[in-house]
Parts: sequence; structure tokens; C-alpha cells
Amino acid sequence: MTTYNRNTLIVGIVAALVVGGVMSYFASSSPDGLEKTQEDLDAAEPRHGGVEAPPVAFHEYSLKCLGEGFWSNAAAGVAGSLLVLGIVLLLGRALRRKDAPTPRA
Amino acid sequence: MHIGPGFLSPPVWMGAAAVSGAALAGSLAVAGRRLDDRKVPLMGVMGAFVFAAQMVNFPVLPGTSGHLGGGFLLGILLGAPLAMIVMASILIVQALVFQDGGIEALGANILVMGVMPAVIGEAVRRLWLRPLGVLADVATFLGGVAAVVLGATAVILMLWVSDSLPGSVGLWRAIGVMDLVHLVIGVVEGAASVAVARYVLKVRRDAVFGEPLAQREGAAA
Repeated sequence: MTTYNRNTLIVGIVAALVVGGVMSYFASSSPDGLEKTQEDLDAAEPRHGGVEAPPVAFHEYSLKCLGEGFWSNAAAGVAGSLLVLGIVLLLGRALRRKDAPTPRA
Repeated sequence: MHIGPGFLSPPVWMGAAAVSGAALAGSLAVAGRRLDDRKVPLMGVMGAFVFAAQMVNFPVLPGTSGHLGGGFLLGILLGAPLAMIVMASILIVQALVFQDGGIEALGANILVMGVMPAVIGEAVRRLWLRPLGVLADVATFLGGVAAVVLGATAVILMLWVSDSLPGSVGLWRAIGVMDLVHLVIGVVEGAASVAVARYVLKVRRDAVFGEPLAQREGAAA
């Protein structure tokens, strides 16, 4: 791996962990634009059968065993960011053509 | 802007899933040609960053928050096909692990936060290829606003067709309420997209556009 790629990974991962693990704790807890619109229009109750994933480890963006709070939110931000990172890196590697040009440096 | 479980009727979520599924199949088919050793790590960290950024809800109007979408930014930095793949990965993790968005609504959420903004991002992407200065900034800002507002409008249309808005609420009023909030969110999305696109292009222009490393100028990371 080139130095550039390693630095990109380090900078990107640190940025994601700071934003997802720390900054997100200070996020607004108001309903988001869609939720607020649905409330205002008296349309917040689902009218169809829907499927929601069971809260296995996380209840929304909180780690279940930690309840609510800073560390619970941080765990969700860190776990989610790293999970996405891992999935996308694996997908990218799998999809990359073997004869694709590689940087020389 | 994640549509929760039970708000879309089966024909709507199936239709949205078919469109998103076709777009993703096409993206996976062409992804190999667009990936090299530099784009894979960039794609990974941008995915992690967009997931993290989506957790940061900022206040918009009284009692209302918004969060970035990120699909538009990824469309600029990765091109539409790779952006769609990354956004789909994020939205699937959000739905399956964090109960953010209904599982049956995944196709619709991928459509409005992945496919549509990625296509708009791709349209703006070429403006960054040559040094166009303020034009690229302005187009990126406006593109970010448009991506959010168009996505919001599409959500209302799908809710309306799904009969998930009360009969007393007219379609135009619903679009007006939804789009007003998302216009404000879109301004933040546009500004954030300009800032992040500028930064990433400054440090990893070679990875974004597949240019030889020899053409890079200075800048660490």
C-alpha cells in the first residue's frame, strides 16, 4: 500500500470516528425534516404493514448494554463507521479488476 | 430522511426497490472499470465518513433537525456508480443494525438518498476535472441543494401514492411543508459538499480522477 493510501485511510478513519463517535453526541434530538413533516401533516402513524430490524445489539444509535449516554452513542458511531468501512473496502477489493492500473509510487 | 416501516404501500416500495436494484446492478457491473488501488481506500473512508456525518443532526427550523445525505458528495468524488454502491451499503447497515428506516423501504431510501443524489453529483463531477474555480463551487452548492430538495419531493410523492398522507392534506401543501425544511437542510448539504469536495480534491485528486501520481502537487495525506 502506498503512503498516500495509508494516510488517506488514517485521516478518513479518524475523521469518521470523531464525527460519528464524538460530534454526534451533541447532535440535535429534534425530529428530522421528514419526521417533523409527517407529524405536522398528521401522517406519523404507519398505515401499511412494515418491517423493522430487531434491535439486537443497538437500539437505534445506542449500544443496548450501555443504555443511553455518551459512550453508548460513541459505540454506535464507531461500530457503524467501521462496519461501513469494512463492507465497502471488501466490496471494492472484490469488484476491482485485477488488471486495473496501479499507481507507480 | 429515512422512510420508516409501514409508510409505503407494497406497489410503491416494490417499484422503488426495482429502480434502485436496477441502478445498483448497473453500478456493480461497471464498478470494476472505475476502481483502482487508490479508489478503494478512498471509497471506504468516504463511506465511513458519510455514515458518521449522517448521525450529526443539526437544528434547522424550531423543533426540527436535519442531517447530511452525502450521496451527492460521493457522486462528485467517486462518480455515480461507486457512490450508489457506497450509499446502499450505508443505508443497509442503518436499516439492519440501527433500525433507521424500514427494511421494506430500503429500495426507496436508496433511491432518494443514493441513486438520485449520486446522479446529480456525477453531473457536477466533471466541473472539478479542470480548474474552474468559483463555477465548480457554485454548481456544487446548488447541486447539493437540488439533490436534497428533489429527494424530499420524491419521498412525499411516494407517501402520497402510498395513501400515507391524510386525505385532507393536499399534495402541494405536503410538498411545500417538506421542501421548505429540506431547502434549509439542502443549503447545509451544499455548503458541506463544497468544503469536503475541495479538501479531498486538494489531498487526493489523483485518487478521485485516476490521474498519475506524478501530476500531484504537494499536500500530505
